[in-house]
Order: sequence, then C-alpha cells, then structure tokens
Amino acid sequence: MDRRQLVKLLALSTALPTMPAELLAAFREIHAGLPTDYALRALSPHQDATVATLADLIIPATDTPGAKDVRVNRFIDRIVADWYSDEDRARFLKGVADVDARTQDLFQKNFVDASSAQQSEILRALGEEMAQVTAALAAAPRGYRGSPPLPKDNFYFMFRQLTLTGYFTSEAGFTLQLHEEIVPGRFDGCVPDASSIQRKGA
Amino acid sequence: MPQTQTKFDAIVIGSGITGGWAAKELTKKGLRTLVLEAGRPIVPEKDYVEHVPSWDMPFRGMRDRKKLLRDQPIQSLCYACEETNAQFFVKDTEHPYSTDPSKPFRWIRGRQVGGRSITWGRQSYRWSDLDFTANLREGIAIDWPIRYADLAPWYDYVEDFIGISGECLGLPQLPDSKFLPPMQLNCVELAVKSSLAKHFGSERVLTIGRTAVLTQAHRGRAACHYCGPCHRGCITLSYFSSVNATLPAAEKTGRLTLRPFSTVHSLIFDSNSRRVTGVRVIDTETRAALEFQAPLFFVCASSLESTRILFNSATPEFSSGLANSSGELGHNLMDHIKGGGATGTIPGYEDHHSFGNRPNIAYTPRFRNVKEKHPGFLRGYGLQAGAGRQGWKRGVANVGFGAEFKRTISLPGPWQFTFSGYGECLPNHSNFVEIDKTIVDAWGIPSLKIHCAFGENEFDLRKDMSLAAAEMLSAAGARSIEPFTDDDPPGFSIHEMGTARMGRDPKTSVLNAWNQSHDIKNLFITDGGCMTSSGCVNPSLTYMALTARACDHAVQLMKRGEL
Repeated sequence: MDRRQLVKLLALSTALPTMPAELLAAFREIHAGLPTDYALRALSPHQDATVATLADLIIPATDTPGAKDVRVNRFIDRIVADWYSDEDRARFLKGVADVDARTQDLFQKNFVDASSAQQSEILRALGEEMAQVTAALAAAPRGYRGSPPLPKDNFYFMFRQLTLTGYFTSEAGFTLQLHEEIVPGRFDGCVPDASSIQRKGA
Repeated sequence: MPQTQTKFDAIVIGSGITGGWAAKELTKKGLRTLVLEAGRPIVPEKDYVEHVPSWDMPFRGMRDRKKLLRDQPIQSLCYACEETNAQFFVKDTEHPYSTDPSKPFRWIRGRQVGGRSITWGRQSYRWSDLDFTANLREGIAIDWPIRYADLAPWYDYVEDFIGISGECLGLPQLPDSKFLPPMQLNCVELAVKSSLAKHFGSERVLTIGRTAVLTQAHRGRAACHYCGPCHRGCITLSYFSSVNATLPAAEKTGRLTLRPFSTVHSLIFDSNSRRVTGVRVIDTETRAALEFQAPLFFVCASSLESTRILFNSATPEFSSGLANSSGELGHNLMDHIKGGGATGTIPGYEDHHSFGNRPNIAYTPRFRNVKEKHPGFLRGYGLQAGAGRQGWKRGVANVGFGAEFKRTISLPGPWQFTFSGYGECLPNHSNFVEIDKTIVDAWGIPSLKIHCAFGENEFDLRKDMSLAAAEMLSAAGARSIEPFTDDDPPGFSIHEMGTARMGRDPKTSVLNAWNQSHDIKNLFITDGGCMTSSGCVNPSLTYMALTARACDHAVQLMKRGEL
C-alpha cells in the first residue's frame, strides 16, 4: 500500500476514533520514510530536540499522529531559518535556551532530559506568562480594530503558532485529525449532524 | 521598425476581464482579432494551483515572506496573493509607480493571459438607475450618457454566457441577474437573515452573494467542486475568467491571434485620417520593438494601464495625452472605500456545521439613500457578510496542551459573523494620475504618479458601515460585538476606475455613450477607466456588459463604413 492510498483509506475510515494499531504503525512507518537527510538550518541538534519535545507535548500522538510524527520541528527550523526576521530568530532562539535555563533552575537538567511531569510544569509556567502578556495587551488602549492584539513577541506564543500551523497543515493533521478534504465536491450549508462533528478531533 | 504581415481587423490591448470579452465578441462577429497581452501564457493544467495541499508548500501557506518583501511588497498586501499563486501578481520591482507621500495608493496588478480575471473576487452585481442617475440628481461631476435600460439587455447577454449564481430579490436598487441556482447560506447566516427580516423588514436583507461561480454545468464548464481558493485557478473552469471562458470561445472562431509577452508602449495616431493606425509593442521577453496595424482598437488594459498608454501616446496635437481634448484623461480616479464593519459571536448552533468550502459570501444590498435621504452622506454601500466557525487557530493564544487540548482544538469553535462594507466613492477631479517622467518600468516605459485620497463622504460612509453592521449584529442576537474601521488606502478594493470617463459632452468626457473616444472614432476603451461614477457594487459585471455593447456598436459602425 503506498502513502496516498493509506492516507485515503485512513481519511475514509469510519472505524475512527479507534484506529487499528496496525494502520497507525504503518502510518508511522511511512512518515519514517520522509527524507532522513534533512539538514538543520537554524537549529542545533540540541535545540531541534528541545523544539521537537516541546511541540509533541502540545500536540502529542494519540490515535492520530502527533507533532513529532509529522516533523513539526523541521517546519519550525525552516521558518526560523528562512522566514523569521533576524530579530524574531534571535528572540526565538533565546526562548529555546530559556526553556533549558528554567528546567536547570528547577530540576538541574535540560528540558529534553526532564520527566514529563517536570516538562508539563515548565509549559504551564510559559503559558501563565503568555497569558499575562495577553491580558496586559487587552487592557492597553486599542487601535481602530476592536480585537485586542496578540502577544506576537512572546516566545511561547511564537512557538505555539508554529507548532499548531505545522501540525494542522501537515497531511496527517489536515486529513486524519481535522478530517478535511482538498476537494469536498459539494457544499452543504447546514449539516445538523452532531456525530460528524464529534468525529472531528475524536 | 519591423512590420507584421498578418492583416487584422481589430486589435485588443489586454486579455483580462474586458479584453477577453472584446476578443470573444469581435471574433464572433467575424473580425480577425489580435489580442496583445503583456504577460505570459497561462495553461490551466500547468499553471493552476488550487489543489496544492498545504503540506506541499514550503511555508505551509505562510508564504515566502522574505521573497515577497523583496519582489512584491505592494502586491503581497492583497489577500489573494498567496504562497502558491504570487506569480499571478506583478513584481513590484519591475512595475514601479509613485504617489504623493501623504496619499498612498495600492495598485494591484496581474500580467498574464487572463490578467486579474484569474484572481478576481467573482462577486457580480448589476447597477441600477439609482447609480446611473446619481451624478445628475446631486449635481456631482457629469451625468452618465446611458441608463439602466441601455445596459439591461447586455447584462442579460453576458450573464447568459458567464453563469452567475444568486437569489432573485426584486430590489430596485440591485436588479436581479439571470441566475443559476444560488449557493446555500449556512445555519447561522439563515438565522441572521430571519432576524434582520424581523427587525428591518425589507429594508436590510441578507442574501447569498451573486457570484460568477457555476452551481451547475453551464456551456461546457463544470459545476463548482467547492475546494475554495478560486484565486489560484480552477481546473474544472467553474468560475468565470478570460482563460476559462471568453478566450477559448474566441479561439474557437479561428479568428483569434493571441500574442502573450506583448507589452504595449503606445498607440500610433495618424493626424491625416484622425485615426489610430497601429500600436507600438515591446516584446516582453526579447525587448524587441514591434508594430501592429488594424482599423479598430479596443484598449482593455485596466483603468490605469489604459490611461497610461494614452498618455504615452501623446502627439503634437494631443500633447496632454491621446484622445484627451477634454483634459479629463487621468482624472476622476475612484476606488470603493472598504473596511468598515463589525464582527460578533452568535451563540448556539454548536451541533451544526457546514461541509465544503463555499467560494462565496453572504451579502446585504445597499440600504442607505435608497428610499429616504440620509442626513450625513450621499450614496451608500453594500455589506459583504458571512458566518463561520473558529478553527484550530484559536488554540494559539490558548495555554492548553496535551491530548485533551489536541482533541478540543480540532473541533469547530464558536460561530462568528462578520459584516464588511464596500462603499461608493464620489468622482473628484483632483484625484488623478499623470506620467511620472522620472520613473520607467523594466521595459523603459514611463510610469504613473497617482494622486488619490478618499474624501469626507467616503469616510462618513465607512463610519456608517461599522455602526450599521454593529446594529444589525445586535439585532441578530450577537455577543462580543466588535465594530471596526480599517484604514485601507485607495486602490485596495482593486476597483480602480474613472480615468477616461464616459459622457455626452466631448468637452468634459473622454468617451461617448458607446465607450468610443469622442476624439478618435476607431478607439474604444471598455475597462474601468470608462466609469463616470463608481456605484457601490463590485464593478466587473458592468465592465463586461459595457464591453459587449461597445463591440456590437463598433462592428455596426464598421459595417456601415463609419469608422
């Protein structure tokens, strides 16, 4: 079975959310078939491992692949190398280093070596700080647009933006997790079908 | 100068939405027609990119930011200029223009076969006599030389070919088209529609957008498959464009010669015959200078490009621009003012969703200055609208993580409803373009300096869009209503028009009631340049009807030997 056929089968499968372990294994195998010679451009191997671990905590593998499975870290490396401004790149890399510094302070080890409970504690702290920045922005006087500005300079916000984008725009994220189709073939304006919604993200 | 051997009966400059129509009409009426297009050819199978999945895009839809900043800093401001289709927009580095420092103008252009008809928004609305008589009633600028009755049969004619889906409403200010079946509103749009009916009666209504996208097979083109991003192309030819419809029809006659890579420099005017006799072309690739001759010229290069060609065609007699005895060429530049509106959350309907990507919006037709005169401003606006459920992006600023976060953020979020207006822009002599002698494009052709700013009436309309939108959302039971007024400069609605206006009097207008130059009988301009006022609806349908009508008239004149 080639990759296209498999993805199609998975997308059409009504057996979800209980995806057969066999299929899931096959899926991961296929992803393992992604080019292995990817050369990091912006991140060091250690930064890459930190990024992959962080991303996978936010979007872990469940009955669908997680951030690490779809190589969100490669997407992040590309964005940091080719898309970010010099300023944003420096801010991002400083943020990655800071994740280790926080873990060292609290647990005397690097983030990738911490237990998952310890890693979760770091993530909660990052989230609290992001929420404080967001609240401060919301309290500040607003411009012509009603919606409050987003904390674009906050490392964790930047990281989450790239992680979610990288995941949900991946083939697995789009097809298996969101159950989206490139060519739906029809438009139904009003589908009162709770089960088909529950299927999404199940 | 090399002369070409082929004899043409007509030359059309531009292959966009009006050039495509001129090509189809003139060839169908028996004229051997040369269409000159500055850009490259477009082959749907090769060039359309609507089904490229996000995971095959290096930047996953975030676009090649640095390349765009370098090559297309202006074009990339347009929503339709995306990661896969930036090639449908010009490189700003090759196409410079200037503005007053305090008056920015965004000039969005596409140079390829099909022009901007490949990336257009497809919303298609008829004008009414409320629009055609507005200047006369209010004593603004000059009167239109035509009325709705002059154009109505031509709207019928082009709609029959294009295929426009929509709903009949019977509104005098927005005449119904010959519609294909409408696309559906979604649940929340239907709910808002009935709330508006309850609160505003027939004054403010919500309807499905009238769009040049097929809801059923039509004249050899397939029905829409609802993939969504029409501005990247359409392999099933389901939306109207020159490439998808008019140019193939012209080709079928055997009388079309389409020459891509043909950048028009200027027209050649013969002062003895008082006719345009030829066109100077620079081969876009080789830079070779060429000339082509014909007895009839349709200039359809887009409002500002057509005006630029006429300025660059100045002669001793027409020293301020060809066909410019009126002095109005380049003046009265208009663009719809947009960016006033409001957004809100509609509670409920969590167990309903929509399936497929509808390439269309909902629409509230103009309701200001229709029956009662508004005390604050002239004219009006239409509101584009729509409801949708939030997606995974709402998870970015969220602090959640882990399996449960992954599950919930993948489910559709709350329903949001947005209204966003497009308002009429008054014609104003002091909004104008001229040749900037200090700027040439990559082919050495002098470019434009654009002087354009919205006035008080436009700003008042935009403010009212936002207030009325908030009022309507409130009537529909929305929560967290956020009114907005974006500060987009003119040009950004990409409805620039008016720089070669139609009128009855040769002293105050460039074109007559048939889009024919008052000064030069074999010269027709049928793109947005011809507009005497701007209306508030998306203008392309009107340009197309005017083009078909002008072609019919030109061929009649030709047959009678009056050209």
